[in-house]
Amino acid sequence: MKVVIKAALAAGLVLGASQAFAQEAVRIGALYPFSGGLALLGDESFRGLEIAVEERNAAGGLNGKKIDLIKGDAVDPNQAVGEARRLTSVDRVSVIFGTYSSSLALAATQVAQLAGIPYFELGAISDPITERGLKYVFRTNPTSKNFANRMVDSVAEAVAPALNVDPKSLKIGIIHEDSLYGQTVSSFQVARAKEKGLNVVETLPYSAKSVDLTPVILRLKSAGVDVVLQTSYQNDTVLFFRQMKDQGFKPKAVIGAGGGYSTRDTAQAVGNENIEGALNVDFPQYRTNPQAAPGIDEFVKKYQAKYGIPPRSGHSLTNYMGANVFLDAMASSKDLKAESIRETLLKVDIPEGKTPTGWGVKFDEKGQNTRVSPFLMQWQGGELVTVFPPEAAVTKMKAGVGTN
Amino acid sequence: MDVLVQLLLNGILLGSMYAIISVGLTLIFGIVRVVNFAHGEFLMVGMYATYLLGAHLGLNPYVSAVPVIVLLFVLGAMVQRFIIQPLLGADEHIQIFATVGLSTALINLALLVFGADLYSLTVPSARQAVSAGGYTMLVGQLVMLACAIALVGGLHFFMQTTALGRAIRATAQNRNAALLMGVKVDRVYVITFGLGAACVGLASALVIPLYPVTPTIGTYFVLTAFVVVVLGGMRSIYGAFVGAMIIGIVDSLSGYYIAPDLKEVVYFAIFILILIFKPTGLFGFGRGTE
Amino acid sequence: MTAKTIVPAVPNQRHAGFLARLTNPRVYCSLIALSLILIVPGVIDSPFVMHVFVTICIFAALSTAWNIVGGYAGQLSLGHMVFYGVGGYTTALLIQHFSLSPWIGMWGGVALSVILSVAIGYPCFRLRGPFFSLATIAFLEVVRLLSIHFTGVTGGAAGLIVPLNLGWAWMIFENKFNYLYIAFGLLLLTLLVSWGIRNSRLGYYLTAVREREDAALAAGVNNTGVKLKAVVISAALTSLVGSFHAMYMTFLEPATMFSLATSIEIAMFALIGGLGTVMGPLLGTVLVVPLAELARGWLGASANGLHGFVYGTVLVIITLTLPGGLVGTFGPRFTKWIDRLPGGGRLHDTGQAPAQRAIVGEVGKPILEAKNLVMKFGGLTATDNVSITLNRGEILGIIGPNGAGKTTLFSQISGFLTPTSGTVGLVGPDGAMTSPSSADEFARLGVGRTFQIVQPFGKLTVLENIMIGAFMRHPKVEDARAAALRAARLVDLEDIKDVEARNLPIGGLKRLEVARTLATEPSILLLDEVMAGQSQSDTQRMVNLIRAIRDTGVTIIAIEHNMQAIMSLSDRIVVIDSGRVIAEGNPQEVVKSRRVIEAYLGEDFVDAQGL
Repeated sequence: MKVVIKAALAAGLVLGASQAFAQEAVRIGALYPFSGGLALLGDESFRGLEIAVEERNAAGGLNGKKIDLIKGDAVDPNQAVGEARRLTSVDRVSVIFGTYSSSLALAATQVAQLAGIPYFELGAISDPITERGLKYVFRTNPTSKNFANRMVDSVAEAVAPALNVDPKSLKIGIIHEDSLYGQTVSSFQVARAKEKGLNVVETLPYSAKSVDLTPVILRLKSAGVDVVLQTSYQNDTVLFFRQMKDQGFKPKAVIGAGGGYSTRDTAQAVGNENIEGALNVDFPQYRTNPQAAPGIDEFVKKYQAKYGIPPRSGHSLTNYMGANVFLDAMASSKDLKAESIRETLLKVDIPEGKTPTGWGVKFDEKGQNTRVSPFLMQWQGGELVTVFPPEAAVTKMKAGVGTN
Repeated sequence: MDVLVQLLLNGILLGSMYAIISVGLTLIFGIVRVVNFAHGEFLMVGMYATYLLGAHLGLNPYVSAVPVIVLLFVLGAMVQRFIIQPLLGADEHIQIFATVGLSTALINLALLVFGADLYSLTVPSARQAVSAGGYTMLVGQLVMLACAIALVGGLHFFMQTTALGRAIRATAQNRNAALLMGVKVDRVYVITFGLGAACVGLASALVIPLYPVTPTIGTYFVLTAFVVVVLGGMRSIYGAFVGAMIIGIVDSLSGYYIAPDLKEVVYFAIFILILIFKPTGLFGFGRGTE
Repeated sequence: MTAKTIVPAVPNQRHAGFLARLTNPRVYCSLIALSLILIVPGVIDSPFVMHVFVTICIFAALSTAWNIVGGYAGQLSLGHMVFYGVGGYTTALLIQHFSLSPWIGMWGGVALSVILSVAIGYPCFRLRGPFFSLATIAFLEVVRLLSIHFTGVTGGAAGLIVPLNLGWAWMIFENKFNYLYIAFGLLLLTLLVSWGIRNSRLGYYLTAVREREDAALAAGVNNTGVKLKAVVISAALTSLVGSFHAMYMTFLEPATMFSLATSIEIAMFALIGGLGTVMGPLLGTVLVVPLAELARGWLGASANGLHGFVYGTVLVIITLTLPGGLVGTFGPRFTKWIDRLPGGGRLHDTGQAPAQRAIVGEVGKPILEAKNLVMKFGGLTATDNVSITLNRGEILGIIGPNGAGKTTLFSQISGFLTPTSGTVGLVGPDGAMTSPSSADEFARLGVGRTFQIVQPFGKLTVLENIMIGAFMRHPKVEDARAAALRAARLVDLEDIKDVEARNLPIGGLKRLEVARTLATEPSILLLDEVMAGQSQSDTQRMVNLIRAIRDTGVTIIAIEHNMQAIMSLSDRIVVIDSGRVIAEGNPQEVVKSRRVIEAYLGEDFVDAQGL
C-alpha cells in the first residue's frame, strides 16, 4: 500500500514537475532563411543553435525551464520584418537568435529593437548591425572588418615572412563581388592596408553573375599583383581560379574571405592541384587545433549523431558557440527582461581559446564581441587546414598557389 | 597592346559562346515571336543533362552533345506545342508570363533535384591551353568558336536550301501570307522553337567544360542573349552572330578599361540606345518596332 | 437646353448621383470588401496578420499602379521597381542628409520618378510589345548596377539604414496599426486614381491607343502624350508606395529596391487578377500573396525549391486556363449576381447631347491646300507632284484605278504620312493657313478621316468606339456618350450600340468608321471607300447621309469606286493615275475625258470605241 502511495506521489510529482516545466517554458525565436536561395547555409546555421538548445534542455533547461525554439523563415528583408514581428508579438519570444544573412539581420534587428526584445546575431558579418546604437542587439561572431583586417594583416604577418620579403614591397590586388558581402569586406581591406602602409595597386569589383573574369585577371596581371585578396561566392571563385590558370597569371598568394573559398565543391570544381596553397580567412572550420578550440570535436560528434552527416560548413559551429554564450547569460541573468540580459552580457568575460571556435567573449557597449577574429586557413592536399594564428594552427603554412 | 590583343581574343571567344545561345534565341524570339524568359533555363537543363551523362555514363560532353541536342529539341517543341500555342490567341503579355512561370518552375525543380551546390565535369582536353604568339586560349573555347561558325553556316544552308527552311523564312516575314500560301504555320513554329532550344542544347554541351552548373546558371546568360538578339536585328542569324561578337568584345574591353562591375551597364546602355535610335538592329537586318 | 435651366440643377444632380452611387451594389460591395482589409487585422489583433495585410496593401497598390501602364496602356513594363526604388532611396537619403520628414521626402521621390518615367517613356514608347518590356528591364538593371557602384551616394550593396525615429513625423511606429492605416490609404489612393482613369477620357484614350494606334490618331489622340500621362501617374504612385515600404522595412538595398523578380511579380498579380481592370490587380494580390505565404510555410520546410516549383507550375497553369484573369473570366457572372442585390441593375441614362461645334467660314473659299505632294517609298513614287485645293462646303470625289495613290494622298492630307516634299496647308481656327505636323494635330484642327481598311477598337462596344471620337470635342464622359449616341443614330448603329465592335459585319464596321469620325465633329471629312461592302439601299442612305453632313457645313473629300454614287454625289472630281492628277472638273466633264477612260479601261478599249 505504502509503496503504491509512494509511487503515485512520485508519479504525481513528476507529472506536476513536467507540467510546470512545460508551463514555464522559455520561448526563443530562431530567425533564419529556411527557404529560398540562402536556405542551405541558413539551415546549416540553425543546426548549431538547435544543438545548443537541445543540449541545454537535456541538462534540465534554462534554470529548470524548458526552452521552446520557434522558427521564423526569413527569405528576404520584407519577410524578415514580417517574421520578426510574428516572433515578437504572436509567439511572444523572450529573445531572437539569427540570422546568417546581413541584409536580413539589418531588417529584423530594427523590428526587435522597436519591440524591446534582445536580438542575438550569431553569423551575419555586416558591421552596421551593431553600429546603429541598438541597445539590445549583440553579436558573438566577427564582422566584415575583422575579416578584412585578418586578410590584410596576414599579408604582413604570414605571407611576407613565408616569402621572405618586405611586406611593403608586395603589390596587393583587391577583387570582390559587388553585393553587400564583397563591398563591405573590401572597403575595410582598403582602409586597413592604408593604415598598415601596404601597397594596394588595384581594387576591382565585379558582379557575382559574371561569366568572364579575364578582364579582372588581366588587370591584375598588367599591374604585376603579387597578392590577391578576393571576397567571393562559389561560382566566381571557381571562375577566378580557372581563368587565372588559363591566362597564366601566377600571384604569390591568394587570400579568400570565406564564401566560395570554404566549400569542398569549389575545390572539386577547380581541382585540388589548382586550389592548393590558396589561403582563406573564415569562421573556424573543423580542421582546427582542439587545444585552441575546446569542444570542437565533441560538437562534430553531436552533429554527426543528430543529422547523420558531418557538418556541411563552419556556420553551425559558430552558431553553436554563440548560442551557448547567450544561453549562459540568460541563465545567469536575474530575469529575462532586455535590460537585465544586457547587464549580464556586458559582464561576460571569456578569454580566447576557451570556446569551441577558439574565440573569447567580451562585448563592447555596442554589443559587438571584441575578442574574436577569424582564422587563416589554407587548402593543402584537398583539405582546408588552419595555419594561423599559431596556437590554432594544425600545420604550417606553405608558400605559393597551385602546383603548376 | 599585348593586353588589348588578348582582350579582343577573349572577347571573340566569349562572343562565340553568346553566339550559339543567341542564335537559338533569334529563332525563338525573332521568328516565333515569343519572349522566352526560360531560354536560360533551357541552357541549365542542357548542362545538367550533359553533366549526368558525363558523370554516370562517362560520356565526353562533345559526345553527349548529340543526345542533349535531341532532348532540348523535344523540350523546346513541347513548350511551343503545349504552352505557347494555346496562348497564341491571347494577349501577347500572357506568353511572357507563361515563360516566366516556366523559368521559375525549372530553376526550382533543379534546386529540388540537385540542390544549390555546383556540379562540374572535368574535361582536361577542353581545358588545355593553347598558346600562340604569347596569347592564350583554351581548346574548349576554340571548339566553341568553330561550332558557332559551323552553326551559323549550317543554319544558313538549311534556311536557304530546304523546303522547311524556306517555310520558316516565309513565316518569319509574314505569318498571314505564309498561312495563305499553305505553310502549316503552327508546325513551323513548333519546329523552329525546337531548333532554337536545340541550339541551346549544343551550347550547354560546349559550356560545361568551362562553367560549373547551378540551378541559376541560366539567369547569367538570358538578358545578355536578349541584348545580342536585338543588337543583331531580331530575325537575322548573322546579325545575332555579329551582335554576339560585339557584346563579347564590349564585355571584355569595358571590364578591363572601365570597371568590371560596370560592364553590364555598358552593354545595357548600348542596348537601350540601339532600341531607341536604331530599332532595326545595328545592321538593319530586321525591324524592332513591329 | 439653355444654360439658365441647367446651372441650378447641377449641384442637385451631383448630390443625388453620389448617393445613388453609394446605393449601387457594385459600389457598396466593393467598399465592404475593401474595409475587410482594415477589419480583419483589427479583430485578430496580431502583428503578424497585420504584416501580411500591410504586404497585401503594398503589393496591391504597386500592382494597381503598374496596371495603369501595363493594363490600360498595354505597355508591359517589367522594370517598374525602378520607380519604387527611386522613391524609397530618395526618401531615405533626404532623411539621412537633411533630416527631412518622409512625408515631405516622398514627394522628392515622386518628382524624381516622374522625371525618370518621362526619360524612359518618351523614347521607349515607340517600341512595341516585347521590346518595350526589354527596354524597361534594361533601365532597371542599369539603375540597380549604378546604385551598387556609387557607394558614396546610395551606400552601395551594403544598403541604407533608416534611423529609428519614432512617430508620425518619421513614419515609423511602435503601434503597428498605424502602418496599416498608411498602407491602406495608399492602396485606396491608387485604386481611386485607377478607377478615375478608367472612367475618364484618359482611360478610353488609353484603351484606344492600346487597341489601334492609327485609329486613335485619327480620333485626335496624341498617342505618346496619353501614354506619357499614364506612365507619369503610375510612376508617381509606385514611388509613393516605395517610399512608404522603405520606412516600413527601415532598410534599403539595391537588390530589394530594384528587383527584377518583384517587378515581374507585381505585373503577374495584375495578370492573374485581370489586366486592364480596376479591381484585377487587387484581387490577384489578395489571392496570390497569402497562397505564396502558405505554400512557403507548408512546402518550404519539406524540400528546398519545392514551393518555387509549385508556384511556377501554378503560374503556367493559370496563364493557360485563365488568360483573361480572374476578373476577365468570372467578372461578368459575378457582376450579374451583384447587380441582383438591392439597388442594382441600373443603367446609365444618357443626358442631353451637348451642342455641336459650330463651323464658321465662307463657303467656296479654300479650306485645304495641298501643294506639289511627292511621296516616295524607296524606289516607288506613290504620289508625284499632286496639288489639290479643297473649297469650303463642296464634296470632292477622288477616283482612279487601284494603286493610283489615292489613299497615299489621303494619308498625306490627314497627317498620317509626311510627304517627301510638298506642303499641306489647312485653315486654322483663326482663319489663317497652318501646317500641322502630326496626325492627331490634323484631327484636332478638324480633319476627320476614315480608313479604307476598317480600324475598329475590337474590344470596345460600338458606342464606346464612337465615344473615342467624341472625346475630342467633349472631354466629359457623359457629354461624349450623348454625342456618340447622336452620331450612332445618324448612321443607324443605335440598335447595336452595346455590341462589341469585333462582332460587326463589314458594312456595320464601315458605318462605324464614319460615325467615329463624325463624332470628332470635323470641318473636313475624308471618306475612304465607305460605300464598299454596303447593300444597295445602304449605299443610297450613305449618299443621303453624306449630303446631309455637307449641309451642316462640313467639307467632304471621298475616295470611291462606286461610280454611280460618287458621280451623283460630287460637286467636283479629281482623277488620279499612277500618282498624278490626270483630270479635274465637274463629274460630267471628267467622265468624258479620254485620259480617264484610258486609265480605267486601257488604251485599246479607247481605240476600239473610237473615242
